[in-house]
Amino acid sequence: MNASCAATLTRDADHWVGRFVAMASPCEVLIDHAPASVAQQVLDAVAAEAWRIERKFSRYRADSVVHQINISTGAPITVDEECANLLDFAATLTRLSDGAFDITSGVLRKAWTFDGGDGVPSQEQIDALLGAVGWHKVDWRRPVLKLQAGMQIDLGGIGKEYAVDAAASRVEAIAPGLSCLINFGGDVAVRNTRQDGQSWRVGIESCDRAGTPMRIVQLARGALATSGDSRRFVFRGGHRYSHILDARTGWPVRKAPHSITVAADTCTQAGTLTTLAMLQGENAEPLLQASGMQYWLQ
Amino acid sequence: MKDNDSFNATLAAATCALLGSAVAAPVAAQDAGSDWSFDSALLYYGESDGRVSDFSAAVSALRDLGDERKFSATVTADTLTGASASGAIALDRPQTFTSPSGRAVYTTPAGAVPLDDTFHDARFALNASWTQPLARLYTVSAGVGFSTEYDYTHIGANLSLARDFNKRNTTVNAGVAWSQDDVKPVGGLPIPLSQMLDVDNNSNKLGGSESKDVLDLLLGFTQVLNRTTVLRVNYSYSDSSGYLNDPYKLLSVVDPLTGDTLARVPIGQGPNGVYLFESRPDARTKQSLYAEVKHSFGDPVMYFSYRYMTDDWGIDSHTGEVRLRWPLGEGYIEPQLRYYKQSAADFYRASLVSGSALPRYASADFRLGDFDATTVGIKYGHGTPNGNEWSIRAEYYQQTGSVPSEQIIGNQANRALYPDLSAVIVQFGYRFRP
Repeated sequence: MNASCAATLTRDADHWVGRFVAMASPCEVLIDHAPASVAQQVLDAVAAEAWRIERKFSRYRADSVVHQINISTGAPITVDEECANLLDFAATLTRLSDGAFDITSGVLRKAWTFDGGDGVPSQEQIDALLGAVGWHKVDWRRPVLKLQAGMQIDLGGIGKEYAVDAAASRVEAIAPGLSCLINFGGDVAVRNTRQDGQSWRVGIESCDRAGTPMRIVQLARGALATSGDSRRFVFRGGHRYSHILDARTGWPVRKAPHSITVAADTCTQAGTLTTLAMLQGENAEPLLQASGMQYWLQ
Repeated sequence: MKDNDSFNATLAAATCALLGSAVAAPVAAQDAGSDWSFDSALLYYGESDGRVSDFSAAVSALRDLGDERKFSATVTADTLTGASASGAIALDRPQTFTSPSGRAVYTTPAGAVPLDDTFHDARFALNASWTQPLARLYTVSAGVGFSTEYDYTHIGANLSLARDFNKRNTTVNAGVAWSQDDVKPVGGLPIPLSQMLDVDNNSNKLGGSESKDVLDLLLGFTQVLNRTTVLRVNYSYSDSSGYLNDPYKLLSVVDPLTGDTLARVPIGQGPNGVYLFESRPDARTKQSLYAEVKHSFGDPVMYFSYRYMTDDWGIDSHTGEVRLRWPLGEGYIEPQLRYYKQSAADFYRASLVSGSALPRYASADFRLGDFDATTVGIKYGHGTPNGNEWSIRAEYYQQTGSVPSEQIIGNQANRALYPDLSAVIVQFGYRFRP
């Protein structure tokens, strides 16, 4: 990440645009009317928070908590409060999804590549990996976590949305009342309404034409998160397998919408709902309806 | 349902536990991409002394299709009633004229400015336009328009291309517009400089209809000067050709000493003076330069604009306008002041002199004369919490013109040759998203 540890700030018509890369995604902060020094401070705080969370929870980094847990080979690990909160949250999602969502399901990626090709693994391969999947096999007694040997965790499914909310809180702490839009790879939060009363306009990417927004949502306040398979999928035998894996079967969810976007008070809430709805496959919409949240399907 | 409730409650509680107590305010999101938005306006324009009044209603529908593609369509309906000055001068005796239909006469009392009071029309117009990005930094838009009224039909099309430079702080745009207007007046088109004849005598009328073509070219430049100031400069070139007369406008033929209109004795019903129909050149080239500065002082925003126009008919005009948008409660108030001044066309004549050579072109249409006009107005706009806005605007227009002293002959000096005009404009607007 060293090379990309640069955040750039430019001025647009009536706002500032800050850009940087974190969590393998393009990240963006739009800052409403503010002096240059404040805009720079806001961007620095947001980027610092994103990079901090990435460093702490990325499973690819040797110095991350998640990496420590994943190489523990059955030894108990004591985690700090922030990590414990995330694990508790993940456990709740597993319960709410009857086990379809599971942070231990990352090992299944050894079988599934989701590069747009046709590589579908055999059932034997999947069965072999499923032995190392399942939160119920984990001994979690806050703040001590003990995985079975061979198991791994991956907080990627919730980390980005959490980082958006955490960054929004940082901004609120240093510039209370300032309106800014935080966008980490399509997961978006806005804390305060803009000075002129206008909304921030957020484009939701079209599945068919990546990079072009298919609709615009005006976000005055709150958060948007999108889950979809516009880029990550496997195509085989006329079936398009989404990258959302059901941890119980080891197979991708079938007949899920291509993309789900949810608006909620926080990005974490919005992102959680998109993920849980995706896992429902063709029953995604009833779940979204029952949630009472605003949503968009593609 | 109980399951749903517990699902939602569990999720909310878990989020709250993760993010701590400092949870954000409730979400306020609105789908903008697939929605239509509408802009509607009712406008009343009324001239003093019961002259022209116009009542118009317009509805614009805008559809933002996302991806910076926009479609808009506007429907306008107008009804015009009243009378407009015909160009004939006032006299100390009553004057009779044949109405434009050629079927009746009307009389103007002594001392009054002759008005053609048979004026009544309804107009219907439809415009549509499409805007979309063409490539990175390029935007193209195209539009078509159509309008029809009893004696007039207009069709038009336009195309423009804009390109952003300099991190989108500079925009250069170029456009072209073309229109064709067909005029088919009641009772036929009068032959230019022919005399007004008795009722039912159509020997001074041309056949059916005539048309004019207008080609406009526009070159524009918009520059964001700093965070609070935007400058826009436009140059436009307009070329009109074809039938450019107003078929209802007259000139009085006057005695070279008294300045009074020559008398004529109608055989049956008809004019009691000598009046000729106007004659304008069949081409006109206009050029104009427009500059606008928009500056925001925090919340208040000031607009200042100036336009200079010059044409090959000899008309030069200057328009200056200043507006200030001031926030007030839930809305804003916007006072406005506009000043307009123009010089007369080379062929503008208050009257034609009997015995002198007839000029090739002549018109007594006050709109081609030397005049200035001031408009003062105020607008109040009010935003509703769901993003809709209503507004009301009131304007007062005052126009004062003059006739060059060398054109004033004999008794004309005692009469108002160029009548003053004032008008009020009231507009109610409502912009909403269903």
